[in-house]
Amino acid sequence: MKQVAGLISTYSSDEFGICSALYELGGMVVMHDASGCNSTYTTHDEPRWYDMESMIYISAISEMEAIMGDDDKLIHDVIETAQQMKPKFIALVGAPIPYMIGTDLKAIAAVIEEETGIPSFGLEANGMNGYLSGISMAFDAIVDRFCKKEVLKSTQTKVNILGATPLDFSLNGSIDSIRRWIKNIGMQTGACFAMGSSLEELSKAGKAQVNLVISYGAMEIAKKMEEEFDIPYVVGVPVGKLFAATVEHCLKESLETGKSQVVCQKYKADIRSEKKAAIIGESVYATSLAGEIEQQYGISCEVLCPLETEEMILRSMDKQTPEEDDLMEALEGMDIVIADPLYKPLCPKKASFYPLGHIAFSGRIYENKIPDLIDREFEETGGLR
Amino acid sequence: MLKLAIYGKGGIGKSTTTSNLAAAFATLGKKVIQIGCDPKADSTINLLNGDPVKPVMNYIREFDEEPETLDPIAKEGFGGVLCIETGGPTPGLGCAGRGIITTFSLLEDLELFEIYKPDVVLYDVLGDVVCGGFAAPIREGYASEILIVTSGEKMALYAANNINTAVNNFEDRGYATVKGIILNRRNVENEREKVEEFAKNSGLEIIADIPRSQDIIHYEDLGKTVVEGDPQLQVSKVYLDLAKRLLEDKE
Repeated sequence: MKQVAGLISTYSSDEFGICSALYELGGMVVMHDASGCNSTYTTHDEPRWYDMESMIYISAISEMEAIMGDDDKLIHDVIETAQQMKPKFIALVGAPIPYMIGTDLKAIAAVIEEETGIPSFGLEANGMNGYLSGISMAFDAIVDRFCKKEVLKSTQTKVNILGATPLDFSLNGSIDSIRRWIKNIGMQTGACFAMGSSLEELSKAGKAQVNLVISYGAMEIAKKMEEEFDIPYVVGVPVGKLFAATVEHCLKESLETGKSQVVCQKYKADIRSEKKAAIIGESVYATSLAGEIEQQYGISCEVLCPLETEEMILRSMDKQTPEEDDLMEALEGMDIVIADPLYKPLCPKKASFYPLGHIAFSGRIYENKIPDLIDREFEETGGLR
Repeated sequence: MLKLAIYGKGGIGKSTTTSNLAAAFATLGKKVIQIGCDPKADSTINLLNGDPVKPVMNYIREFDEEPETLDPIAKEGFGGVLCIETGGPTPGLGCAGRGIITTFSLLEDLELFEIYKPDVVLYDVLGDVVCGGFAAPIREGYASEILIVTSGEKMALYAANNINTAVNNFEDRGYATVKGIILNRRNVENEREKVEEFAKNSGLEIIADIPRSQDIIHYEDLGKTVVEGDPQLQVSKVYLDLAKRLLEDKE
């Protein structure tokens, strides 16, 4: 049945993808939504909520405001708050109600910017699309409004990390590990979209020589920066030791050639096991993990992607599985399944299930059990048996 | 690209005016798109010889998904005018305004303007600016100018005033502005004077005065616009002159 999930959870929405992507940048992020939706984000999908301050607001739109299309209250509230908080930017985030009544968030943002002088933009999320499209919209707005083509490139080799959010990488140290790995291969981290970098650092992203895309949420800005700033991109997460080495090789090759590439299309694996494995998850991370497992264990590994992605990221054997029914069919005959624990009900009985928590799917339930697999032998985390 | 939205009271002749204007632009050699924004989906019928295009909402209802190309929801009519209809939900259900926004967003995803590269886009909008959805055609990126169709009848002028007021309310949002009034005559007593008075009070100009004509009805019965049927007729020349003027003003 289309769009019916009887056994599994659903992914975080575009609305929360935006909040997560903009969380650390000093902007004021306003979800134009009924009160209550805020707590879904803060309680379940935002592990930084209790330890790191951010200006995330909810407009608490009421029934009568929706019926009357009363935008003035939103405009007034945002301007008043912005004048007190002095954010670096204002992002108005759409949700189901403004989507249905056709609220023009872009026009409202222009009115607010005119009044406050603070860069403002409307992001037309609707709460019904996946978190990756929200991350994509948010990063796109940051690049559009704050980044420019830098004529003077850095004298040292700089790599921007694109696609870092806790929704995909939790707070288990993976992003710090990617920064360390970049240093170990003789390069520097430029801007990290968007964990651990300030808005000022992001605005200088044009100084880098290459972009490393670690989540599909950053694919659009990678393409935009390639076109507008002449920065090639490499798509892949340096998980494990062997795949990390392939990512390193691709980064160095792209620096030389100026051409973009997808790492999972580049490695060679010697499949020597009769076992078949499936990984369910976000396409860039899952295909990277598949690359490491195929190289290290010789086990054929199929990625099942329930989220937005595109053909060039998936390998020939991988599948897009947006529906629960598609997933169940694709999992038949698998010996090993690697996925968020909430996917376990779909796992065939004879298969071994390896839990790999994904905040965007199960929220914070398994937060403390998500391993940092960056540039690390899998055996250190238990490996595959 | 000249992008115009046509508003006016229901039944005042918006679709007739829009289709004839589209046919006039096409006759002048321009590449035209006409988008009907009315659940009735009858805006473009006289450009298509009575053989209608499948409205976008009908497609989505029938196939339970959005079309992947423009082919099933766009059809070329007289003079190569590309005809599209938003259509709407099942009468009495759903939200027609939201249907318009969804259609516009879909047309953007399908890269309508990039693929078709029109010189002129006409949005024929249902009646009044009743809610957010019906204001969508005048938002940034869509129409940049509005034509209000009215007769000298009291209720038509009342609707025209409502539309003009609604548009003025959006002036800080970068929306389309009212270009002028098209007087579509209904043979009301002192019709020109009545509309002139409204125009003067609203600071607007009457940019075309279309006579009441049996020829329009005759050719509509044949599934055509009068501009297609007989471009030499006086009424056809009014539409052609209006099209020329709009193009000249744009330049």
